[in-house]
Amino acid sequence: MKLKHGTLAMILAGGRVDELNVLTYYRPKSAVPFGGLYRIIDFSLSNLMNSGLERVGILSQYRNFSLINHIGSGSAWDMVGRYRGISVLPPFMGSENSSWYRGSADAVAQNLDFVQYHKPEVVMLLSGDHVYHMDYRQLIDYHRGRDADLTMAFVQVPRERAHRFGVAALDGEDGSLGGRVLAYWEKPPKPEHDWASMTIFCFKPEALYAELAREGHENFEFGRDIIPRMVAEGRRVYGYKFGDYWGYTRTVEEYWQTSMDLLGPRPPIRIEEWGLRTNLEHRDIRDYQPLRVGSSAEISDSLVYNGCEVEGKVERSILFPGVKVGPGATVKDSVIFFDTKIGAEVRLDKVISDVNVIFEPGCRVGRPEGEAAGGATVVGWSNVVPAGVEIGGAVTLYPHLKKSKLAARIKGGEVVK
Amino acid sequence: MSTSFASFTPPSSTVVFLLAGGVGSRLNVLVQSRAKPAVPFGGLYRIIDFSLSNVMNSGLEQVGVLTQYKPLSLMNHLGNGSAWDMSGRTRGVKVLPPRTGSHDSDWYQGTADAVRQNLDFLKGHPSTEVVILSGDHIYQMDLEQMLAFHRSKEADITVAMMEVDIAKIHQFGTGITDAEDRIVEWEEKPEKPRTNLASMGIYVFSTSYLLSTLARDRLEIDFGMHIIPRAVEQDNVFAYRFHGYWRDVGTIPALWEANMDLLRPDSGISPQGWGIRSNPEAAGLVADRCPARFAAGCKVAGSLIAAGCRVEGEVINSVLSPGVVVGPGAVVRDSVIFADCRVGAGAVVDLAILDKRVQVGREAIVGEGDNLHTPNHLHPKHLYTGITLIGKRAVIPERAVIGRNCIVNTDAKLSSGAIVATGETV
Repeated sequence: MKLKHGTLAMILAGGRVDELNVLTYYRPKSAVPFGGLYRIIDFSLSNLMNSGLERVGILSQYRNFSLINHIGSGSAWDMVGRYRGISVLPPFMGSENSSWYRGSADAVAQNLDFVQYHKPEVVMLLSGDHVYHMDYRQLIDYHRGRDADLTMAFVQVPRERAHRFGVAALDGEDGSLGGRVLAYWEKPPKPEHDWASMTIFCFKPEALYAELAREGHENFEFGRDIIPRMVAEGRRVYGYKFGDYWGYTRTVEEYWQTSMDLLGPRPPIRIEEWGLRTNLEHRDIRDYQPLRVGSSAEISDSLVYNGCEVEGKVERSILFPGVKVGPGATVKDSVIFFDTKIGAEVRLDKVISDVNVIFEPGCRVGRPEGEAAGGATVVGWSNVVPAGVEIGGAVTLYPHLKKSKLAARIKGGEVVK
Repeated sequence: MSTSFASFTPPSSTVVFLLAGGVGSRLNVLVQSRAKPAVPFGGLYRIIDFSLSNVMNSGLEQVGVLTQYKPLSLMNHLGNGSAWDMSGRTRGVKVLPPRTGSHDSDWYQGTADAVRQNLDFLKGHPSTEVVILSGDHIYQMDLEQMLAFHRSKEADITVAMMEVDIAKIHQFGTGITDAEDRIVEWEEKPEKPRTNLASMGIYVFSTSYLLSTLARDRLEIDFGMHIIPRAVEQDNVFAYRFHGYWRDVGTIPALWEANMDLLRPDSGISPQGWGIRSNPEAAGLVADRCPARFAAGCKVAGSLIAAGCRVEGEVINSVLSPGVVVGPGAVVRDSVIFADCRVGAGAVVDLAILDKRVQVGREAIVGEGDNLHTPNHLHPKHLYTGITLIGKRAVIPERAVIGRNCIVNTDAKLSSGAIVATGETV
């Protein structure tokens, strides 16, 4: 019997990604709402919980508040107990070192005391901003079985998109399970392989400590600095092949597409089966009553959480808690965050709306009628879109704009600051 | 001057006794495995959530829950009380079941007896007032206001009362008041009504008065029958008037009606507006549910749908608890469906209450025919308005047909194509 799990998990949840634009204006990417209820980091946290890995550190430095609030005590993921816990680890001042995290590896290096205190047998590093379901135990078993210094998880992506990821050449040592990493390129301009790094790393602790302590090298980023060097120097670096859905949300368009992967008759993201948990105390989600559907409502191919009130038409959309859709309104191909109010006769098409937005009656936002293509319009939080205003497709509205900025008609593709 | 920690006594607060012992037998199969206060209500809640949330929202912090009938489901639901913000240095919820002992060696004989058997809990939490309330009503009330009223009247007992339909007054304790709202006469369940002012079963007692009156006669086992009538004659009893939505959901028709009230915004009931909380980590685990999923081609109108449901068919004028699946072509109408029921493709559920995890097979009909007024033969006083009641985990197979006012018992498994005529019980 083993009371204490030998794996310490560290989630890299620090980053703000510029491409996600106004959605990360006030929150790190890992705290961006997703799927009608969740935050993106819930996927990693729930995977950890469901894998029985419950000693977790979260490395975060950008706009921590939303994330710290979200994590709470950790009890939402059952991570409160003798050998269970979540610690949020922000950058700190110290006698030897005081700087912001200069990268993923630097963040770990600055918290090495936390890592070593737990005397882990495996140090697992994850990023908190991907949408997937994985049993990490299989990855860890593979890592231990290969006695690897480092095992990374890879997923196959279309080669034309691989340039945005770390890409590896794997040998066929273990067939569909994985293989030795023969070569590794971080974001190669012309990738020759299609195995993309999911930024899930299992380190043998000694190997990790040794790499972070290397002098005369820049040790700030795992993907850029450490992994290529380990591969080049012939360390035992293995790739574990992951064969299921992997969603990423680095741009607004990707965020929208990944959200749409929750819908349809056979959605690739199977949230009903993935055992996802979130913190219901965050934003008081637990205090909402069930969804109220009015007598004239039409809802089709959509996800809607408690606390919503729908009188109008909702089609291929995702509504977070507390969203109201007034009579005669149409919400199509859209993702509407918490407590946004959509007035009567409003028309939204391919819109991502942040929290607490008010769409006054009769306004029209997003893709013009009859148009199939075109980017998503993003509405930053706490905006009031006045009655009768027309805002085109692929528009970006910064959070909390003055009313005068939204008075007129806004053409497709504009950015309003 | 010296102060020592030994002399520290915690600040006096109000102690609350929540009476959750009722069998609620008129709720029939719904209380076969749970106490009445633990019966699900309004999709996400249990009946007791309303009383507990009123206690929480009134700022009261020490609650004893008096229970003796099938308490497991209730205890699971209460957990450590933190769902109602009642865990902390001065806050707590304790479940108080009957105990054996040198003096207290019996089941609770009545409401007053239950409190009498827990005087140690009462004395353990110094208080000036004790609030005693029932855990099986749907309402919102600020108990702090009632306490303020009690203090301003320097009352021994204050009883919350409201005007009810005179035709229903025989179900209640009634009081006749003077101009100051002092209760001058008390009649428990009168046959000939002289007033329409009914007791809601919510009492504030001055603690010292409660202790002395309970010490007087151990045969006085019930507040409404014994303690209050004598206090009205001898002591200071006042009526605190309540205006608003209040329902005793102790019968199947009343439970169904109150659920339907949730669907009408003008009915005055609003769990979210009232700040009613449930325990999402308790059995059924709302915390594990994803958003409700609505398939293309589904039709939903005038309904409450909780998280974790999947609707492919039609849901009209109904309340769905978490995890209910309504298959393609199925119709759920005028019904209350508890958690994790499955309604198969092409099935019809009409004017029914389904307890948890009921499975309705393809093309089966629950609630068939126009004869709403032939009551259930076995329990004519439980089912007589057309509602059909299906017990927990019952399996209604493909193409089975069940009439009106029927009861299908917990765990019943009907044979394929079975026909249950109106008024029958399986």
